[in-house]
Amino acid sequence: MFQLDLKNRKSIYEQVIDSFKEEIVSGVLAPGEKLPSVRDLSKQLTINPNTVQKAYRELEREGYCYTVSGLGTFVSKPENVAADPEQIALLNAELVRIIRELRYQNVSPDEIRASVDSALTNRGERK
Amino acid sequence: MIQIKDITKKFDGSVALDNVTLSIRKGSIYGLVGTNGSGKTTLLKHVTGVWKQDSGQILLEDEPIFDNEKAKSRIGYIPDDLFFFGSYTLADSARYYKGLYPFWNGARYAEMVKLFGLPEKQKIARFSKGMQKQAMFILVMSAMPEYLVLDEPIDGLDPIVRKHVWKYVVDDVAAREMTVLVSSHNLREMEGICDTIGILDHGKVIIERDLDELKSDIHKVQIAITDPAMRDYSELNVLHRETRGTVDLLIIRQPREEVETILNAKNPVLFDLLPLSLEEIFIYELGGEHDVESLLF
Repeated sequence: MFQLDLKNRKSIYEQVIDSFKEEIVSGVLAPGEKLPSVRDLSKQLTINPNTVQKAYRELEREGYCYTVSGLGTFVSKPENVAADPEQIALLNAELVRIIRELRYQNVSPDEIRASVDSALTNRGERK
Repeated sequence: MIQIKDITKKFDGSVALDNVTLSIRKGSIYGLVGTNGSGKTTLLKHVTGVWKQDSGQILLEDEPIFDNEKAKSRIGYIPDDLFFFGSYTLADSARYYKGLYPFWNGARYAEMVKLFGLPEKQKIARFSKGMQKQAMFILVMSAMPEYLVLDEPIDGLDPIVRKHVWKYVVDDVAAREMTVLVSSHNLREMEGICDTIGILDHGKVIIERDLDELKSDIHKVQIAITDPAMRDYSELNVLHRETRGTVDLLIIRQPREEVETILNAKNPVLFDLLPLSLEEIFIYELGGEHDVESLLF
């Protein structure tokens, strides 16, 4: 289970959302897996249940999970995640920044391509 | 829902509460923050119906609280100055509470006594200060209140006990929509637990905010733009600006996407966007006229 960082500049609400996204994207949480209940998670992290509830609603809105009433909240299949143009633009900018930094460290374009390819292949295997 | 409307209270001519208006949603955890002497305890003593205001109204689900036995039996209150009957043990006090509160939960009482490891047969008066606070917490939480009012609840408790205390509180909020009003002189301590924060200063509410909204809308930006003609930020809602050489430090209140679009269009050579810490937000929102830093140590 992820840890919250009270000294972090991000709000707890954002930290909960980002932590789940990370676990879902990296495959720690598999599609169909149940997220902890609002009550359990708020108790575990000792944070406000209303914040957890709001974070779950946002994750659901973005397509990362879905709720079955009476049963709980579950991780969606990756293809259900709504493409968010803003997020994509942000991530692309991040990618450009990382590539520039790698080039600055004298990593050759071929090596960078190899890393990118390997990341893409791993993603493929997991599906 | 607790509604506090235009409460004023004077003690011997000095104003302790000055037209205080607040509302606490059902199922919310409301943090009341302020320095010593700002009126927190006075306000809580009115919300629990201990004191009577000079003017204004306090309503618990549309009923006045003062002298209202039924409303009071729904409120659990842990004051800063704890009171126990001199000769009572914890077990005696539990019996007394059971008679006062209609939803007393004996199973929870037993579970909490075990968890905190308090001696039931010893006089509470002989407990240490921290143990007395734990005893009070056990009694109040076992009364299953719909509304919980806490005055500096974790003062004097060790970190492990604090954790237990908050776990019980958040669990009751999640499981049965308990409403919590909690005071503290430390803003940082309230950050994880509260959804709403109200700051009291010299008997006045100077700011009341939903924490999640507060944080997402305000940003600290570091930006360097080589073209001086582009260093104009009039399209943005800038709360504060500092310039260090070619780098501008801006505090902006605006949705993140707008800030990014506007600033990226200026071709910055450096552009960092950071969310603000809760302390910084309050300092900028209050515009320096209040002594917020004293709440943050």
